[in-house]
Amino acid sequence: MWLPVMGLLAGIIIGLLTGVQIPTAYTVYLVLLILIMVDALLGAVKASFEDKFSNSLFITGLICNLVFALGLAFLGQQLGVDLYLAPVFAFGVRLFHNIAVLRRQLLNYYKIKKEK
Amino acid sequence: MRKNNIRWLTGLLVIIGFLLTLSYKTAADQVPQEKEPNYFEEDQLRNTVLEEQEKNYELEEEWRSLQTQVREMEETLAQNEESSFNLVEDLEKLRMLTGEVGVAGPGIEVTLNDHTFVPEEGNPNDYIVHERHIQQVIDELLLAGAEAISVNGYRISKDTFIQCMGPVIKIDNNTSTAPFVVKAIGDSEQLETSLKLNGGVQDSLVNENIEVRIQTETQVTMQALGGESD
Repeated sequence: MWLPVMGLLAGIIIGLLTGVQIPTAYTVYLVLLILIMVDALLGAVKASFEDKFSNSLFITGLICNLVFALGLAFLGQQLGVDLYLAPVFAFGVRLFHNIAVLRRQLLNYYKIKKEK
Repeated sequence: MRKNNIRWLTGLLVIIGFLLTLSYKTAADQVPQEKEPNYFEEDQLRNTVLEEQEKNYELEEEWRSLQTQVREMEETLAQNEESSFNLVEDLEKLRMLTGEVGVAGPGIEVTLNDHTFVPEEGNPNDYIVHERHIQQVIDELLLAGAEAISVNGYRISKDTFIQCMGPVIKIDNNTSTAPFVVKAIGDSEQLETSLKLNGGVQDSLVNENIEVRIQTETQVTMQALGGESD
């Protein structure tokens, strides 16, 4: 159970140690990446609570989201239109939706535990 | 939760952590970058002010140098006025030489007259003054350094022609008769000596039966070209 937390810390440490810096022009992609990752994380958590988690679904969903979101952002930058807002919006909405679902599931989980 | 899920979640969280640090770093970089332009702008403004001041200073210097130039020009103008005054004087002198104005000064007076006595057998032509005699005198006087010459009051200039018209001669279309009074202004002594040289003008004129009278004068006056005086 502590492994994901360790993973998060490891990622932060890696990021700090490598000292990789992204030009300000690409912050949009960075934000999108973070959003996609968080969305995938929440989606995975939700799916695992529902016991519907599937590796292939997870991977394909992640890659598809990445490709489309980054592609849209890229296209938007090329055209001079803020198209990256579309994935940001979509992922944001989905993020909150997933959080709501997760909350209910957790509440249910603890209720069941108490009743036991 | 299954182990499989946990593995995936761990992987995701590693990536998320990495991305978060990245975004944090970029954001941290952006803050000073946003401030830097302000410093930069301030610096630029300061530089502009300095440049303007420098420019002002340069312009002031230029103005000062221009002022000195103007002063110099004024001075040269004043000097020019002086020198132009000198030039006017020179011009006056040159006009005196060319005969455009009347002159006065020490000089010499040569009077040529026909021979009073003409022998019976002689040709009267040999006893009168011809224009070439006058020319001779004038040439000699010019050679001796005469500054101004007149014949019977007619000023001789460089364009003057002297024409023989039988008993009279014409000087620039002015008829005049004997006696011919050739006046010259210049060093009278020198003029006299040059005329009185042995075998000189006087001798040759006397040989040609002309009465020559040479007289130095302290004051000879001459009219300008075109005017007549005695």
